[in-house]
Amino acid sequence: MAKKFALTVHQNTQEDGDSLMALIQRCTLSLIFILFFGIICFAGNSEIRIADPSGDWGFPTPYRHYPRGPGYIRMSMVFDTLIWKDTTGVIPALAESWSYEPETLSYLFTLRQGVKWHDGRPLTPADVIFTFQYLKEHPYNFVRLDSVSGCEIAGEHQVRVKLHEPYAPFLAYMATMPILPEHVWNKVKDPKKYVQPDSFIGTGPYTFVDFNKVKGTYLFEAFADYYQGRPKIDRLIYIKADDPLLALLTGKADLAEIEPNMVKILEKKGMTILRNQRGWNKKLMINHTKEPFSNKEFRHALAYAINRQEIIDKAHQGHGTVASDGLLSPDHEFYNPKTPSYEYNPAKARKILTSLGYIQGKDGFFAKDGKPLHVRLLASTVTTTDRDGEIIRHQLEQVGIAVDLQMQEKTAADTQIKAWDFDLAVSGHGGLLGDTVMLNRMISPKSGSVNSARYGGSKKLLGLLKEQLRTMDKEKRRRILAEIQKIYAEELPSLSLYYPESTAAYNPKKGISWYFTPGGIGTGIPLCQNKAALLR
Amino acid sequence: MMLSSRRFTKKRISLLLAYSLSALLMIWLSYLLPSLLPGDFVTAMYSTSEDVTLTAAQESELRAYYSQDTGFSEYLLKLIRLDWGNSYAFLTPVSELFFEALPWTLLLLVSANILAALTGFIAGVEAAFRRNSRFERSLVSCGTVLEGLPEICTGVILLAVFSLYLGWFPAAGAETAYAELSFQAWLLDVGHHLTLPLASLVIAYFPGNFLLTRTSMIMVISQPYIKTAQAKGLSGLRIRYAHAARNALLPLVTRFGLRLAFTVTGAFVVERIHAYPGLGTLLFNAIRLRDLPVIQAIVLISSIMVLAMIMVLELVYAYLDPRVQDAYQR
Repeated sequence: MAKKFALTVHQNTQEDGDSLMALIQRCTLSLIFILFFGIICFAGNSEIRIADPSGDWGFPTPYRHYPRGPGYIRMSMVFDTLIWKDTTGVIPALAESWSYEPETLSYLFTLRQGVKWHDGRPLTPADVIFTFQYLKEHPYNFVRLDSVSGCEIAGEHQVRVKLHEPYAPFLAYMATMPILPEHVWNKVKDPKKYVQPDSFIGTGPYTFVDFNKVKGTYLFEAFADYYQGRPKIDRLIYIKADDPLLALLTGKADLAEIEPNMVKILEKKGMTILRNQRGWNKKLMINHTKEPFSNKEFRHALAYAINRQEIIDKAHQGHGTVASDGLLSPDHEFYNPKTPSYEYNPAKARKILTSLGYIQGKDGFFAKDGKPLHVRLLASTVTTTDRDGEIIRHQLEQVGIAVDLQMQEKTAADTQIKAWDFDLAVSGHGGLLGDTVMLNRMISPKSGSVNSARYGGSKKLLGLLKEQLRTMDKEKRRRILAEIQKIYAEELPSLSLYYPESTAAYNPKKGISWYFTPGGIGTGIPLCQNKAALLR
Repeated sequence: MMLSSRRFTKKRISLLLAYSLSALLMIWLSYLLPSLLPGDFVTAMYSTSEDVTLTAAQESELRAYYSQDTGFSEYLLKLIRLDWGNSYAFLTPVSELFFEALPWTLLLLVSANILAALTGFIAGVEAAFRRNSRFERSLVSCGTVLEGLPEICTGVILLAVFSLYLGWFPAAGAETAYAELSFQAWLLDVGHHLTLPLASLVIAYFPGNFLLTRTSMIMVISQPYIKTAQAKGLSGLRIRYAHAARNALLPLVTRFGLRLAFTVTGAFVVERIHAYPGLGTLLFNAIRLRDLPVIQAIVLISSIMVLAMIMVLELVYAYLDPRVQDAYQR
């Protein structure tokens, strides 16, 4: 057709030919445009691309994803849990209902019927029982099942899980625990080494198609037989992009975590901005195992000497809020507003130091028994490079504490923090919105996390931490947690500095309304990629 | 003649021995150095996660699980069997990761090196013959300024202009992930993604090549044999490239070779900025995670490549410049 048309052009006069050529050009252009636009439209209805700077988070199967939130989220697209969370709180997933029976210390889950694994087999109560047993034998790091004493099939579609003792975080773990197919995993002896096509068989809304280790990309496809209906988006793609702003603006990504200073530009371009609650804190680790930091008073002096608002203003352009000294976020339902706090007060810091026997010399620096007060401050790129360490050094020196600031690579710094080979260290962690079992991990002296205060100095605090886990009554738990926050702030084994603003942006034209899950996904993952947003 | 050729072989053998010894030393260093990094895989992977906290027992169990170190001799034996071990992070063979990343690095680096060497060479020759012209002076000042610009700077500027403001080129990756394109469309897509990182590298490599060629050309031009060639009435092109440029080629070849030798790690910065897959990115991630077998393999390959390149250069010298061959025989 086009050929014939072109031939007639040649037979025309020169002038006519020129105008016809222009017409052809226009036609071709519009054809290309329509084709392109068609592809974009087609893609727009069926595809979501999520960008992240690291890309690689391990294989999206329980035993092989990296022990971080993004790894868990990718896995959660493939594997469903008994219960899940959305904006309304805990919602049914594989279990349509559940109840706690205090007399028998057990939970009864009624499973949904007609649930299929990705290979077409039906989900049975035996799979759920198997998952509990398998995870007890081969611990999955995101879930603690120490409290579970056993489980049994209670009815045709019911499973009863028995506990040793009351355990308040149990449901949070149930909203985290992926249910595994018995017919795949019953033959697997070492799940850490097992990566086969069938290790990606779950009951989740998406089936796993590809993970490119070198490019850091993932492809998931909608599972047509999903028990809550086929998800809205056909293809879910994770890509690696160093700069989320560029990825969003160039249309390469439809969703990404962003820096707060990108908000204005993205809003102008029609992106929807999400702001999370305060769930992540930058923290100053204090080596309370050695002098003079083992002295509570000295730690108070440090807290008074640090102007946290100034750190936010100077290093983060004002994007953040000063943290509570009780570790739990002010946005948490169990936050204690009466937690003691240490507002910036350099005079008070100096006064405490003087009362501890330090004498301020002519150069302005403190010394005791002729030995200058000199601390080593370790700083590293906790999440991104910032100037927090420099500002803290400056502030401490203003008060009269000489500081040796050492900037290090992250793992190098973490290794030293772990071995208590530091005086002060800039660190940080999230989880402040999730179940308060996090407080035990972030305070307990037995914790393996370098972000944990690892503090055994207060027997009362340790006792209360244990007790809060055993307290099923919400109001009673609230009272215990208020006391925990108060004691933590008084003991001050480490100092929460501030909560950086946590923001994400997405393209609303893709038809998905993403949200930050209150309390975080699972036990408190502060990401907005909740799979429930993808369901009809 | 007999004597000299025997001496020549002897020299070759001793040279080969020296190379083998250095290779062994490099294998040992590539084995040892990564393990001297502070911290290990378990610390890097688990100790800062707020979602997962391990007890001391779990941690030491993991450490034992991931430890593959059985000493240098074992490592050497494994290498001979072409077994590079398994990555800690993926528990898949290192070679699989390496060869998955290699094509992208080769594509980027080899094309950048060839482009920069060719353009730098031609521009250098032409500039030397137009000494003190406006063309030469502006090119030299341009080259000097560009030579001072680090890749990280040009990379970011290119991204801001061509990706963010003009929207002509993609900002990240080597291809549109999972686009399901036909082969031709895929080739176009790869080229489209390659443009910006390639441009950053060419801009980084070009000035050095250009300035080097120009300087050595200027030295060659003043030689009497060029005058002779001109007096013979040979064409300008022939004098420039067949007579003069060949003698100015040696330093450029050295530079080209050494650049190629740094292929593995050379594009590191550019790969990072453009989120381009490749060995640089692989190495970066491996160091971040303390994935020792991956670090060892990449460090080893890159150091062996430098060694191999130096060896190849020595052979190429002899071909390009008979004086080098002569030096062997004396």
